Amino acid sequence: MDRRHFIGQSAAAVGLLAGLSSQTKAANLQKAEILVIGGGYGGATAAKYLRLFSKNTARVTLIEPNTSFISCPMSNLVIGGSRNLAEITSPYDTLSKRHGIKIIQDSVSSIDPDKKTVTLASGKTLRYDKAVVSPGVSLNFKSVEGLAQANKDGITLQAWKAGPETVALHKQIAAMREGGTFAITIPEAPYRCPPGPYERACQVANYLKQHNPKGKVIILDANQDVTSKGALFKKVWAEQYAGIIEYRPKSNVVGVDAKTKTLKLEVEDDVKADVLNVLPQMAAGEIAIKSGLANSNGRWVNVNFLNFESTARKDIHVLGDAIQIAPLMPKSGHMANQHAKVAAAAIVAELSGWEVNPAPVLTNTCYSFVNDREVVHVASVHQYNAAEKTFKTVPGSGGLSPAPSTLEGVYAWGWAHNIWADSLG
Amino acid sequence: MTETIPMRVKYLKPILLASTLIGLSQWSGLSLAQTADQLYKRGLAATCANCHGTDGKGVVDGGMPLINNLTSQEMLAKLKAYKSGALEGTIMPQLAKGYTDEQLTTIANQLGKKQ
Ligand SMILES: Cc1cc2nc3c(=O)[nH]c(=O)nc-3n(C[C@H](O)[C@H](O)[C@H](O)COP(=O)(O)OP(=O)(O)OC[C@H]3O[C@@H](n4cnc5c(N)ncnc54)[C@H](O)[C@@H]3O)c2cc1C
Repeated sequence: MDRRHFIGQSAAAVGLLAGLSSQTKAANLQKAEILVIGGGYGGATAAKYLRLFSKNTARVTLIEPNTSFISCPMSNLVIGGSRNLAEITSPYDTLSKRHGIKIIQDSVSSIDPDKKTVTLASGKTLRYDKAVVSPGVSLNFKSVEGLAQANKDGITLQAWKAGPETVALHKQIAAMREGGTFAITIPEAPYRCPPGPYERACQVANYLKQHNPKGKVIILDANQDVTSKGALFKKVWAEQYAGIIEYRPKSNVVGVDAKTKTLKLEVEDDVKADVLNVLPQMAAGEIAIKSGLANSNGRWVNVNFLNFESTARKDIHVLGDAIQIAPLMPKSGHMANQHAKVAAAAIVAELSGWEVNPAPVLTNTCYSFVNDREVVHVASVHQYNAAEKTFKTVPGSGGLSPAPSTLEGVYAWGWAHNIWADSLG
Repeated sequence: MTETIPMRVKYLKPILLASTLIGLSQWSGLSLAQTADQLYKRGLAATCANCHGTDGKGVVDGGMPLINNLTSQEMLAKLKAYKSGALEGTIMPQLAKGYTDEQLTTIANQLGKKQ
């Protein structure tokens, strides 16, 4: 129903009808099957807030293959050896125990948007009225020649999805020969977590400084320059990691020779290293692409920013890293959590027969550790702009840290504990 | 975004009217109207939850300053001081500047301790 048109009618009739339609729609909220696909920063938050915002009346099922949640934020500290995987792992069962969310440990192998069903890897088919899809990113190993096999063989690692590879990469760095080189490659933006690779370079350099002082870190960045917190990172590299970190912009890696551990660049000479962390081009999580949702260059999902509904398919709401971003919107866990709350409120409103909030707000804060204690941040506030149908940052708001500090190091862990509790607790 | 506020008011009015026409059942127009508006307010306050906890209840000893010891009045005063630059901080002065005064008031009313 076109609500705005509807509002334009005579007051009494509108009042009566609005009341009645709300009555039936409110019942819809309790009847609707809401499936959330993916229990990462976006999906877990959406599942929890669908329950909170519906006053625990919505029926919410979360489908996630992993037995527990492992955070990408803070995972660079595990690679740098100052933290361990257990410290960044949270259980999923609080979502069922505390919030009444049904959790299915499985992965979705296909979505049929016409029949409104999803099929699980186990073969089971589930019906939905509303689907929330937050599958994160997929890594396009084919974008670098030889990478798929090298990664399969464990010769190169991505560790861009936190988990076993996070630990494996730390072990490779710890086992590196004296004076060896660690190389990290960064694809052209957009990719998951703009400052993440630079933070990782700092963590590895911090480890080497203590355990392998002649060791080196080379950053091969396909971008023109550091994509986030540039001046801050460069200052840290010059002051804390002089002679350890070498930064090479406009260095697009196109191939890997696994035998000789050599990276082939598009223009420059080959680079040999002892430990290779190759991050290929990224796109929306596979299920979003397979289901025909990735209508932005076949890579990302365009959404209506008022409710995060896919513009390709009705009643499928897509969140987090998988979407085509609004201007200056990063692909971050903080942002995915914020998308989830806007989407959850919109779904509750729609199923209740209310207009969705016409003025949603999103924030982003992102902390990067430059060693094991000092941190720099970037922050932004994004208000919905009705005329342009997108989110825009507010002029004069947001910004960066003036310099790394241990106070922000404390806040960074505070942020992690709170966002984990807000999304999963 | 300020231009969207009147839209909301425009929308809520007919529903308020509906309540007087339909009468107060469990799902009366009145309770729906309040809940729709409440939902928007909860949604706005939830933008703070990533750092300060769900419904303003932060992780105790987690490292982030706790805010649920503040009254709504104290919280609003603090938020406005961050916004004006009178109060220094790391991230909060930058974030507070992104919200309208009306939004800060809503947040303080939602998350602050009621006196
Ligand atoms: C090293 C690193 C550091 C980072 N640091 C920060 C930081 O400090 N701050 C910050 O805000 N962000 C940070 N990020 C970014 C953050 O991790 C992502 O932006 C965030 O995880 C995106 O959330 P999401 O819900 O889109 O995806 P994810 O969190 O990746 O969740 C996707 C989930 O979907 C599941 N899934 C996928 N396909 C299916 C399927 N077919 N069926 C069922 N389930 C499926 C996956 O198992 C996964 O659990 C960092 C990332 C990295 C790699």
